[in-house]
Amino acid sequence: MDPLRQDEFDSQACGSMAPKAKPCPRPKPGEAAGGCSFDGAQITLLPIMDAAHLVHGPIACAGNSWESRGALSSGPSLSQYGFATDLTDSDIIFGGEKKLKDSIDYIAGRFAPPAIFVYSTCVTALIGEDMDAVCKEAADRIGIPVIPVNSPGFVGSKNLGNRLAGDALLQYVIGTGEPEPETDLGVNLIGEYNIAGEMWDIEKLMNSAGIAVTSRITGDARYKEITWAHRARVNMVVCSRALLGLAKEMESRYGIPYFEGSFYGAKETTYSLRQMAYLMNDREMERRVDRLTEREEARLSQELRPYRKLLRGKRAVLYTGGVKSWSVISALKELGVQVVGVGTNKSTEDDVRRIADRVGDDTEYIPEGGASRIIKTVRERKADIMIAGGRNMYVAMKEQIPFIDINQERHKAYAGYEGLLRLAKELTYSLANPIWKLAASPAPWDKEAPPYDR
Amino acid sequence: MSRDELNIKDNTSLFKEERYVQQRENKKQFEAPCSEKETAEALAYSKSAEYMEKNFSRQNVVINPHKACQPLGSVMAALGFEKTLPFVHGSQGCNAYFRSHLSRHFKEPTPSVSTSMTEDAAVFGGMNNLIDGLENSVALYKPEMVAICTTCMAEVIGDDLNSFIGNARIKGVISEEYPVAYCNTPSFVGSHITGYDAMIKGILSYLYTRSGIESKPGSGAESGEKLNVMLGFEPYTGNFAELRKILGAFDTKYTLLGDHSGNYDSPATGEYEYYYGGTKLADVPQAANALATLSLQKYTLKKTQEYISGTWNQQLAALSTPLGIKGTDTLLATISELTGLPIPAVLTEERGRVVDALMDSHPYLHGKRVALVGDPDLLIGLIGFCLETGMEPVHIICSNGDVDFNEVKFKDEAEALLAASPYGTEATVHVGKDLWHMRSLLLNDKVDLAIGSSHLKFAAKDAEVPLVRVGFPIFDRHHMHRYPIIGYQGTLNLLSLIVNTILQQLDDHNSGFNFELVR
Repeated sequence: MDPLRQDEFDSQACGSMAPKAKPCPRPKPGEAAGGCSFDGAQITLLPIMDAAHLVHGPIACAGNSWESRGALSSGPSLSQYGFATDLTDSDIIFGGEKKLKDSIDYIAGRFAPPAIFVYSTCVTALIGEDMDAVCKEAADRIGIPVIPVNSPGFVGSKNLGNRLAGDALLQYVIGTGEPEPETDLGVNLIGEYNIAGEMWDIEKLMNSAGIAVTSRITGDARYKEITWAHRARVNMVVCSRALLGLAKEMESRYGIPYFEGSFYGAKETTYSLRQMAYLMNDREMERRVDRLTEREEARLSQELRPYRKLLRGKRAVLYTGGVKSWSVISALKELGVQVVGVGTNKSTEDDVRRIADRVGDDTEYIPEGGASRIIKTVRERKADIMIAGGRNMYVAMKEQIPFIDINQERHKAYAGYEGLLRLAKELTYSLANPIWKLAASPAPWDKEAPPYDR
Repeated sequence: MSRDELNIKDNTSLFKEERYVQQRENKKQFEAPCSEKETAEALAYSKSAEYMEKNFSRQNVVINPHKACQPLGSVMAALGFEKTLPFVHGSQGCNAYFRSHLSRHFKEPTPSVSTSMTEDAAVFGGMNNLIDGLENSVALYKPEMVAICTTCMAEVIGDDLNSFIGNARIKGVISEEYPVAYCNTPSFVGSHITGYDAMIKGILSYLYTRSGIESKPGSGAESGEKLNVMLGFEPYTGNFAELRKILGAFDTKYTLLGDHSGNYDSPATGEYEYYYGGTKLADVPQAANALATLSLQKYTLKKTQEYISGTWNQQLAALSTPLGIKGTDTLLATISELTGLPIPAVLTEERGRVVDALMDSHPYLHGKRVALVGDPDLLIGLIGFCLETGMEPVHIICSNGDVDFNEVKFKDEAEALLAASPYGTEATVHVGKDLWHMRSLLLNDKVDLAIGSSHLKFAAKDAEVPLVRVGFPIFDRHHMHRYPIIGYQGTLNLLSLIVNTILQQLDDHNSGFNFELVR
């Protein structure tokens, strides 16, 4: 692949619009920022479940992260293994390329994976390891793809890492294989990671409408299926703006039309399915989708009724990454939950515009992190519930605020129609738990005496 | 709303439904994987002795590591001091990992910030990031001290923290007096325990030096201060409470140097603050005048111990994590010796009760073969506990063992301890090995029980061995860290964890003649 020009780099980094400011907001020193580019690249590729993922660097990056993602697998589990070269000080001085080569050989020999992804880290990038050369040499020698992922932590944010992982797929994987001749070609799902099994709900829906999934990029994926992603008829970018560049590049290289969509909320789900059928240019499929979505929406509407009653008028603060900053708002709105505060820390201007389309004027935007900032919004806007990720969960608990985990550690699948129902149940569950009342009432002996009746 | 309507299926039950099972089956057909026979053969091979040999000859790749990196330990250490903000100098992701990692273990928030270095910092150095970062974090988090540690990135480019902090003062982003402690913690050296040590030493030496106090060991006794105590990289908040109970029973005055139990076990009051508890900054220089220092993780706290005995000229007693009856006996004897106070009757009585409990359970423990994984000091304690209950340690893995300690190495000490008991004859101590090595050991030489962190669960499941979760990290069980495992009370907790796991195992695997009511 040709190296990207800087302006392309900027425009692909996290949005289709050429951004006015820098594309991905730079992390601000002195704050508790989110993950780095290494983290972003790794989470994008780890759901390729049958591949081995080797971290080339000191123990830090693998030691602190292996097997802590909630991307589920329907079979192979090699991706769950924490492989690391564990560089030590002498490797830093003399170079770790030999160690890397030996590690690749060992993994290939003992685990026989269809491919090995090798991740650079801050250290290996800084000491100038020629990872590309080692990987190429190893791939030629052992006969399986060995893919360098050049996304050291210091190059930027997690979003940028997602994008760099996309680049690695474009450069080394997509287009290197062909599907079986009789394969029913359909849609690539890009940026869907099968957290808590959401992919399976989506796939089930698509199959009901007769839409085949060609490649999962990358939720519950197998290496092989990504090699033939260029044969898909449509690309759907599922809510991950960072991988938009991948879809755009596939459009220009292979002529595959793409669209951005989401599966959070019934409306978004219906829209996404319709869009797929439309871009497939198949009238019969469009009709099937219409019938399916009508039926599902009607059924869902029935099943949601008791929850809507309980959730109507409830106020939520949503603090999540660009991925869900706007799409979850739609889902919540359908349940009657008002979003009174929303994090825009990792959102692009495009994201913010989409947020603005979906919320009222009195919604507060939370531009930067820090637990106290989020809590302040919850308090000031009298929110009933906080919806965020694991690192903020325990702060919510300290403040006795009902909480739902929406990020990668979550254990509930919220995508599609069934996902919305699950979200409704989960919200009700969390709001209704008796612990909040208990927590809010002081110990009996600390209660203020009733005002003296004069 | 009735409970039935609120019946939410999570992914453990949901995906067992027929349609999902069918979906996975279809996918399998599509994948056309190896035949079940081939898969079974490959799996069997990975469990064989032949494979184990190859696994142990592996040199250059770590598979399923059982250690984290230095700055993770430093963040924990910094949180042991009053209103101190951990500040990680490096690219932003490291800090995100530390916060997740520690929060997942303690189920508490971890306030910690990063200088978020990027490519330009990699080229020109991270000084601007550090200066901007100090300004921002002090304004945002209002700490009374900032404790900076480095990541591998900052170390590789050779950032000079001391001069950067000096420049921050010259630029006026922090005042001349504002305390900023620091330590160098490249991740390509040591592990989380090394980083813990570096930060404790960094903070103690910084606060002591800037106070201008000259240490007069023992002079603190006049103000009632007699003893400094350090717990080390301590994943159990309950251990702090237990230690306080013991010291309280002695009625000795003491200073805990590095007490993160407040931050990691704070009440839900409805109002979150960034800082809870911790060693008071003013107490640190005074600690130089204490009679003696007691260190409860001698391998972890190596440099700090050297510093204290060298610079503060203090008497120093260094033990490993005091687990089990003998471990606790040693702890009490040491406190008594250092303070000159008699061992309190209340503790002797507690000892008797726990010995009684151990006797009650001994038939179920005797001869049980055990595999152990952990940090060096924890392992020494666990080995001691196993041996005194008649359990037989068989496989012992310490990923971050054998830092030199006055020429005594962890491996030597562990082996000597094992050799001194008839129950330790079968044990092998492996240092620098990982959990994939442990998997081979568990599969080839069966044990009855594995003791270690949550990370061990994969190997334990493969080998069908029950796992008792002890150590760090414990991500998949709640509240384990709230219960002490040190002292006599901790011994009782550990005992009931272990014996009840064994009893549960008996019930789970016996439906017939020995599915008994009374055990």
